[in-house]
Amino acid sequence: MEELEARFGEFVGEVAEPPRVARYAVNEAMIRNWVEAHDDLNPVYVDVEAARATGRADVICPPAMVTTWVMQGYRRWRQVQALRADGVQEDHAYSRLLALLDEHGFTSVVATAQEQEYVRELTPGTRVTCHFTIEDISPIKRTGLGNGCFITLRKRYVDQADQLLVDEKFVILRFDPTTKEPAA
Amino acid sequence: MSALTAGLVVGQALPELALPLDRTTIVATAIASQDFEDVHHDPGKANDRGTPDIFMSINSTNGFLDRYVTDLFGPATRIRKVALRLGVPNFPGDTMTFSGSVAEVTDAAVTLKVAGHNARGAHVTATVTLDQPVPNPQNVGGIQ
Repeated sequence: MEELEARFGEFVGEVAEPPRVARYAVNEAMIRNWVEAHDDLNPVYVDVEAARATGRADVICPPAMVTTWVMQGYRRWRQVQALRADGVQEDHAYSRLLALLDEHGFTSVVATAQEQEYVRELTPGTRVTCHFTIEDISPIKRTGLGNGCFITLRKRYVDQADQLLVDEKFVILRFDPTTKEPAA
Repeated sequence: MSALTAGLVVGQALPELALPLDRTTIVATAIASQDFEDVHHDPGKANDRGTPDIFMSINSTNGFLDRYVTDLFGPATRIRKVALRLGVPNFPGDTMTFSGSVAEVTDAAVTLKVAGHNARGAHVTATVTLDQPVPNPQNVGGIQ
């Protein structure tokens, strides 16, 4: 395990992967699907007049939805899963880190914490790009889910003019589910 | 004192919101955010990964937090910052009840402590900072 931990320094501070560029602009259809799933009746997400009545120029995207715009989509998700199953690793710092953790049995993931600072509201037409860096990797720790390490990713979401939209810290636990201790 | 902060007192409790969560809620919110991780929709694979059932994604938790806060403070509310920690998972059949209190009030901003509990404990604890309504459209996205 110390041998594994000794390698974490290779990854800290590195660009995690190439910038993720949204496949389409922020749009009303995706926003509407998202707010319906959350049963959120705030009209500023769907009704331009209601949004204007609050002083906004257009409907806005719910703050928590920022991550959605840079998701890779279903087809790409399938490809990534297939590559991982075949043991093929892409040559990005983050995929190399995850492959290294996979080799040592740390195959499962849960998100544990997130901080998002919303600098600008997203409106339809905004094209989001997200820059990821690996900010920190903890030593291997015992957790309730099994042994694992906490990985902190910094994500900076910018618009097409490179203006900062959201600054995020995202913490995941990457763990080995076979090391979970049975409940007492 | 702005419309947002008028009448707010530090320590004041916020009204609770109980959200019954079924399997469809957890799947629909994950897919609406384009999150296809199997732990959010496939019970068998969730078992393989060490959890008894599928569980809510962090983005969905964050979305429900937005809803709780803006339902209380109104559509002009602008959420400036959310810092959240996850505790026990939200599984199908759970009810998550949001509660909270006012932690800080300044001329133009409010900081809240918010938590969402299910029967097994705290699913999420968060600090949420709001500010006043957007004063005019020219400033949208540009207020620093």
